[in-house]
Amino acid sequence: MRPPSSLKQEFLKKWITGLQRCSSSKRNMSILERTKAIKLSADVAMASARNSTTCWSRALIANASKDGSDGKHLVEQILGLESERLMMKKASTGALVCNKRIRSKKILKRSCRIPRTRKCVPQVALATSIAKRMVRKRTQVLKSLIPGGEFMNEVSLIEETLDYIISLRVQVDVMRGLAGVSELVNHN
Amino acid sequence: MREQREYKKVSRESEHGGMDIGEKDKHELEKRNENNINYQAPGMSSDWQFGGANLTSPPMSLVPSDNPMAIGSSCASASGVDSFGSNLWEHPSNSQNLVFCDINVQNGASSLNAIGIGKGGPNSRRSSIDRPFDMGWNASSSMLKGGMFLPHATGILPQSLSQLPADSAFIERAARLSSFNGGNFSDMVNPFGIPESMDIYTRGVGLMQGPQDIFAISGMKSVSGMESQKRKLNATEASRDACLQVENRSTQESPHKNERGSEILVPSKEKAKQGTAGSGNESDKAEFSGGAGGQDEPSALDGTGGEPSAKGVSSKKRKRIVQDAEDDQAKGGQPPIEAAKDSAENQQKGDQNQTTMINKTTGKQGKKGSQASDPPKEEYIHVRARRGQATNSHSLAERVRREKISERMKLLQDLVPGCSKVTGKALMLDEIINYVQSLQRQVEFLSMKLATVDPGLDFNIEGLLPKDIIHLRAGPSSTLGFSPEFSVGYPSLHPTQPGLVQGALPVMGNNADVIRGTLSSHFTPMAGGFKEPTQVSNAWEDDLHNVVQMNYGANAPSDNQEVNGSLPSDHTKVEL
Repeated sequence: MRPPSSLKQEFLKKWITGLQRCSSSKRNMSILERTKAIKLSADVAMASARNSTTCWSRALIANASKDGSDGKHLVEQILGLESERLMMKKASTGALVCNKRIRSKKILKRSCRIPRTRKCVPQVALATSIAKRMVRKRTQVLKSLIPGGEFMNEVSLIEETLDYIISLRVQVDVMRGLAGVSELVNHN
Repeated sequence: MREQREYKKVSRESEHGGMDIGEKDKHELEKRNENNINYQAPGMSSDWQFGGANLTSPPMSLVPSDNPMAIGSSCASASGVDSFGSNLWEHPSNSQNLVFCDINVQNGASSLNAIGIGKGGPNSRRSSIDRPFDMGWNASSSMLKGGMFLPHATGILPQSLSQLPADSAFIERAARLSSFNGGNFSDMVNPFGIPESMDIYTRGVGLMQGPQDIFAISGMKSVSGMESQKRKLNATEASRDACLQVENRSTQESPHKNERGSEILVPSKEKAKQGTAGSGNESDKAEFSGGAGGQDEPSALDGTGGEPSAKGVSSKKRKRIVQDAEDDQAKGGQPPIEAAKDSAENQQKGDQNQTTMINKTTGKQGKKGSQASDPPKEEYIHVRARRGQATNSHSLAERVRREKISERMKLLQDLVPGCSKVTGKALMLDEIINYVQSLQRQVEFLSMKLATVDPGLDFNIEGLLPKDIIHLRAGPSSTLGFSPEFSVGYPSLHPTQPGLVQGALPVMGNNADVIRGTLSSHFTPMAGGFKEPTQVSNAWEDDLHNVVQMNYGANAPSDNQEVNGSLPSDHTKVEL
């Protein structure tokens, strides 16, 4: 993985670009709108820093591009039209791959379910099923958190989570730094 | 008693149901119990209940006294305490331990039994540990694999079955091993880029029988690295387990490799090839029911400890194989072949499953291993132990998948603060979810703050950029590799302030070698170019720098995990 410092630099550059791009229309925005714009530009910058190597980045950009005109506009500006097209393409292929994975998983589950000859101690089975349910519930929650996570199988979900956590950390650090600096500047 | 001492340290971790490591500790705990006290048939329901209660809390003092109950307790907890999914993790291992105990009792060699039982538990642990460690090892110590790895093991292969290794010596060795491994482990664990490679590595490595021993040992060692003492103590068990583990793995892997290498290999072709090549070399070695080859290396490291454990657990056949292997290895010539013969017999019996008696008896797991909630280590052993099924490929694939998941969960454990103490998939997922949610909320909060802090954010961005960047560089990361990039990038962003940029560049250049502490000192010359920040720059000293850092921390949302050095905001206000 590339070191976090370079990731931060990249993210910051892209984010600044995005902020500047949307700053032109920012004058009359309400705070909420500005918040959304800032967050959106940050997210898009973070996702683009991954260069569509990860599923979540593609999904994030896809979501940003389809939500509304302003999102799409911003994404286009930040990424450039070609890269956006690239992202869309990759996103579609990623979805295909994910669907394939899901289908194969279902087949696997079905086939595994058949020769089930376990001597079930009822308590064991109960405990096992409870644990499984717990894990499944949490996996569902995690899938809802990670952008584009619904399509992933468990293994890739965890990988994506790893990457996403790192990106979020970078994002938080950079934003925090910028916020602190601006606050200091404003105080003075 | 020594065992009790080790076990106490283990019990610290054994309180939770345990995904990988917790599992392991639990097994060790139970093992130790068994070792300490003559194994009693698990017919004590009341004891089980009591034990179950104990399990949920970390009763270090209780555990030793509840040796017979420990096993039952784990079972009881699994059955009684339904809400604790974590107990499930232990349960399979418990059953396995029970089985092992039975076998050991039958065998009659008390020492062997003691160690054999120990092996049963940690095996599962080993497998899950081995995977990531394998990768770490592969990545960082190819030389290790090649050479030092334990050629000596063969010579040392302990002939003295009855001879229980002086545990102290064993522990010393384990400790040495653990320290040896510690660095590698950290290397392996941290970078995220490793997961992909890890994945590949595991696949490739999984097929490689020989290095497995090292990995087992390294796994043990890395574990030690992770949690100092406890691990070291566990290492003794681990090393013992490693032998059996390796046996199991090699047996399991070799048939797997031989029969259906394709499906697992597909995703990682390059590595798979290497793996197959390596495994081809070692297939002979591996085939001896995984025992000989596997045992050699760990036994070399573990000395007598590994051997007895392997022997203790093994059935007669395994013992024979081991002995053969040992003898062979001692000679240095034929072992793989002879061992292979033995293993061939085993293989004939049941494709993937370990054909050892232990394996058959441990088929208690029932399900092939599609229990997602089970720890991969556990599954690993149980799947192997299970009788051959028509869905061999599926179970293998499931096992591999589970191992992959466990590796990544380990990575996540290091990434998410506070996750190292938690074991168990569900709990870890909880932590991860909380962390991700908190990070997302922080981003939202910070973006809102940025939106409110200055309406003229754009200007500030431009004006603050160099200073901001410097500050960022200094704060979160002390690397100044940023500066060249910075100087390249910024002229485009500051068309209106060329002077600023030029002023920044020389400073940047100076800063190339500057670490974070000195960065702030450069602010003053740089600040000259700024209009607003002059006052700020005047105040920029190291202290202020730190204060600002703290200020950031204070202003961030109340996520204690996220705040680095979170001082209260009054602190900064006073300074300002």
